[in-house]
Amino acid sequence: MIRFEGAGRRYGEVRAVRDVSFEVPRGSLCVLLGESGSGKSTLMRMVNRLVEPDAGRVLLEGRDVAGLDPQALRRGIGYVIQSVGLFPHWDVARNVATVPRLLGWDEGRVAARVEELLALVGLDPATFGGRRPATLSGGQAQRVGLARALAADPPVLLMDEPFSALDPATRRGLQAELRRIHRETGKTILLVTHDVEEALALADRIAVMEAGSLAAEGPALAVLGRDAPPAVQRMLRPEALAFQRLGVLPAAAFAEAGPVPGAPGLPGDATLRDALLLMLAEGTDRVSLEGAAPRHLTVAGVLAAPWAETREAGA
Amino acid sequence: MRRRLAWLGAEAMAFLAALWAAPRAGSLWGWLFPEVSRPAYTQDSWFALLASHLALSVGAAGIAVLIGLPAGLAATRPGGRRLMPVVDAAFSLAQAVPPVAAIALSLPLLGFGAAPTLLALVLYAVLPVLRATVAGLESVPGDALDAARGLGLSPWQRLRRVELPLAWPVLLSGWRVALTVSVATTAVGAVAGARCLGTPIIIGLSNANPAYVLQGALFTAWLALLLDRGMGLLSRPER
Amino acid sequence: MGRLLPGGGQPALALLALTAMAAPWWLGWVSVAPNRLLSARLVPLPGALPVTVAWAAFHLSCLALLALAWRGRVERWAEVVAVLAVLALAATVGLGAAAALPAGSPLARASPAAGAWVALLVLALATATASAARGGTPALPLAAALLGLGAMAVAGVFDSLSLAREAAGRAGELRAALLGHAALAGGSLALALLVAAPLSALALRRPALEAAFLGLASGLQVIPSLALFGLLIAPLAALAAAVPALRSLGLGGIGPAPAVIGISAYLLLPLARGLVAGLRVAPAEVLEAARGQGLSEAGILRSVRLPLGAPVMLAALRLAAVQAVGLAVLAALVGGGGLGSLLFQGIGQLASDLILLGVFPVLALSLLADAGLALLARLIPAA
Repeated sequence: MIRFEGAGRRYGEVRAVRDVSFEVPRGSLCVLLGESGSGKSTLMRMVNRLVEPDAGRVLLEGRDVAGLDPQALRRGIGYVIQSVGLFPHWDVARNVATVPRLLGWDEGRVAARVEELLALVGLDPATFGGRRPATLSGGQAQRVGLARALAADPPVLLMDEPFSALDPATRRGLQAELRRIHRETGKTILLVTHDVEEALALADRIAVMEAGSLAAEGPALAVLGRDAPPAVQRMLRPEALAFQRLGVLPAAAFAEAGPVPGAPGLPGDATLRDALLLMLAEGTDRVSLEGAAPRHLTVAGVLAAPWAETREAGA
Repeated sequence: MRRRLAWLGAEAMAFLAALWAAPRAGSLWGWLFPEVSRPAYTQDSWFALLASHLALSVGAAGIAVLIGLPAGLAATRPGGRRLMPVVDAAFSLAQAVPPVAAIALSLPLLGFGAAPTLLALVLYAVLPVLRATVAGLESVPGDALDAARGLGLSPWQRLRRVELPLAWPVLLSGWRVALTVSVATTAVGAVAGARCLGTPIIIGLSNANPAYVLQGALFTAWLALLLDRGMGLLSRPER
Repeated sequence: MGRLLPGGGQPALALLALTAMAAPWWLGWVSVAPNRLLSARLVPLPGALPVTVAWAAFHLSCLALLALAWRGRVERWAEVVAVLAVLALAATVGLGAAAALPAGSPLARASPAAGAWVALLVLALATATASAARGGTPALPLAAALLGLGAMAVAGVFDSLSLAREAAGRAGELRAALLGHAALAGGSLALALLVAAPLSALALRRPALEAAFLGLASGLQVIPSLALFGLLIAPLAALAAAVPALRSLGLGGIGPAPAVIGISAYLLLPLARGLVAGLRVAPAEVLEAARGQGLSEAGILRSVRLPLGAPVMLAALRLAAVQAVGLAVLAALVGGGGLGSLLFQGIGQLASDLILLGVFPVLALSLLADAGLALLARLIPAA
C-alpha cells in the first residue's frame, strides 16, 4: 500500500532520513517508533508530500507520489497531528466537512457524512456539531481531528503523535477507539509515536527509526521481542519492555487449568499486567481467572510470559 | 556602535555643509528650475532656520518629558491608577485631531508666531512620553519588584534602582517618538508663522517657487532622518 | 460590567464633570460682537424658556455624570449621560445666541464663549474617559454626539451663531471641500491598500522582502508630511511635463496627485504591519492541518489566514483611515483641495470661524471613519 524505496532527506549537513525501505501492507496499522529527532515524522510526511525526499521514492498503491498533484494527493489521505489544528473560526461540523467540501460534495451528502463520522468517533452530532473548537477538551478535539481526517473516506490515514498531548486516561481511551475504528474501517494507518507502550497497544507492525535510519521493521511483538536488533534494545530498555509487553498479552492465553480456592478473581479479558498488579496488591502468588472453566495464573507463569513467543495467542 | 556613530557624525557634517552651500548654489537650483527667477532661498540664513526648528522641537520634546515623566510615574503609583482612563481617553481623542488642526485652533488664542506651534507640539509630544512611561514601568516584572521589596528597598530606591533601569529602553523609545513627532510637526508650524525649516516650503508654495519648496523639503526630511537615526543609536541596547 | 476600581469611585471623571459644569459659569456661555471687526463681549444668558430648559438639561446631565462617577458606576450610562450633556450644552449656546442677538442689527455676531468651548472639550474627554474605563473606545458615543449635533444643526438650533452663518455663506465651498477631503482620504487609502496588500502576501514567504518593505515604510514615516509633499512636487511636475498624457489624467506637481501619493506613503507602515501580522495570526498547527488536508495556498489564504486575521487587519485599516483623514488636511497646501483649504484660509485671515469650519468636519470625518470601521470589526464574528 505504502512503499518506501531508499527514501532519504537531507537538511543542510543533517541527514534527517537516510535510505529507508519498507512496505506498509494494505489494512495494517503500522507504528513508526523512534525518539524525537529520529526522522520518523519526516519520513511520514513524505507520504503526503509535506516533505519531498531528495533520495529514493515513496509509492502509494504502486504509484510514485512525486508524480501526483500534491493537493489532490493530500485530499485522498487522512492526516492527524498532535496539536490537532482544528480551524478555530469554524464549528466542529464545518471542520469535519473541510475535505468533502473541497471535493465538491453536495450539502446533503456532506451533512450526512459529518453526522456519521461524529458518531463513529464517539461524539454526539447534535451536541458537538455546532460547537467551536475552543470549547472542546483535548480528547474531544482529537476525536474531531480524527473525524476530519476520515471525512472523505481516504484509504490511508497518517497520524503524527496524535495522542501525545493528552492525559494518560484519555490517551488509553482514544487508543482503544482507534483500534475499534481501524477494525471497523479497515484503513491503512501509519502512526508516528515515541511511546513504546502506545506502539504495543496499537500496532500490527512496527518500524523503529534511529538517527534517520530504519533500525527494525516487522510484526509488532517480533520487533520488540528479546531478539530485537541491538539498536532497538539500546533504545527501548528491554527490562521495561518486558513489563510493557505484559500489558498487551491476554491473561487467558497463559492460564493453567484448575481452581485455586480463595484466590482473588480476575476478569476473563484481563491482561497479564492486570494479573501481576492484582497479585502485588493482594500479596498473593496466584489469582484465578473468571470464566466457564476454572483457570488460574501463577506468578511464575506471568514472569515467564513476556518472552514466551511460542505460547503467544497474539495481542 | 563606534562605526555607526562615526558615520552619523559624518552625515551630520554633510548636512551642515549642505546648509552652508544651499544659498550659494544658485546655479544648481537654476539648472533644476530654469523657469524660476530667484531659485536660491536667501531670505533667512539656513542655520538660523535650523536653530529655531531645533529649539522649537527639542524644546517641546523636553517640556513634554518634564510633564509626561512625572505624570506617568504618578499614574503607575498605587494611588494614581485611577488617572489611567483619562490618559487613554486623551490619547484616543488626540488621534482624531491632526496636529495642524491643533495649531490652527490655538492660533486665535495665541496669535501668529512660535507660540501656537509650541503649544500643539507639547500637547502631541506629551502623549507618547506618558504612554511609554506607563508601559515601561508596567513592564517591570512583578517578582523583581517583590524581590526588591523583600530586600528592604524603600519605594524611592525601588524606583531608582529597579523600576527605572528596567523600564529605560521603553522610556527612551517614547522620547524618540516624541522628538520625531515634534520635528515633523514643527515644519507644519510654518503656516502659523513659526520660523523653521518648513518656512521656505510655505513661502515657496504661496509664491509658486518650486525651488524653495524643494530646498525646504530636502532639509526638513534630512534633519528628521538624521535625528531618528541618532535616537535609534542611543536607544539600542548595549551588549 | 464596568471596571470597578478599588474604592469604587472614578475621581478623575467626577472632576471632569464638575469642571464641565463650572466652566461656563466662570468663562461665559455666549459672546456677542457688534460686527465682524469689533471684539466680542460676554453677554448673560437670556431667560427665555427654551434656553432655560436646555440650561437645566445641561446641569442635570453633568450632575448625573458626577453621581455615576462618584459611585463608580462607569458603564454605558456614563457615556450616554456625557453625550446628553454635550447636546444640552450645544442647545443652550445655540438658543442662547439666538435670544441674545440684538434685534435689528444684522451685522452683530454671536459665538460660543470660552466657557462653552472648555465645557465641550472637557465633556469630550469625559466621554472618552468613560469609554476607556469600560475598556472600550469612544468611537461610538462620539459618533452619536456628532449625529445629534448634526440633527440640531439641520433643525436650525445653531442658525444664530456666527459659525453657522459662515457655513451658510460658504455652503457650496464647504460641500466641495468635504467631498474633496473624503475623496483624498479614500483615494489614498485605496492606493496604499493596492500597494500594501500584495506586498504583504508576498512578504509572508520572503522574510527578506518583509524586512525591506517594513524598513522602507518606516523610513517614509519619519519624513515630515509637509516635506514629503514638497519633495513630490518637482518630480511629478517634471513627469507631467515629459508625458503630457499623464497631465490629462490629473497628475501634476500641484494638485491632488502629490497629496494622494504622499498620504498613501504614510499609510503603508500601519497597513503593512497590520496586514502582515494579520496573515500570521493563524497558528502553525492549523496551517499544517490545512496543508495536510490538501488546501491550496490560495485556499489557505482565503479560508484560514484571512478570516483568522480579519480583526487585526481591520484594526490596522481603522488606524490608517483616521490617519488619512488627518493627513489630507495638508493637501490644501499643495493645491489638493479638501477641508484644509478652509483651514488655511482661516489661518491666513486669522478668522477663527473659518478655522473651525475647516477643523470640525475633519474631526467628524475621522470619528465617523473610526466608528464605522469599529462597527464593521464588531460585525465580523471573532475567531
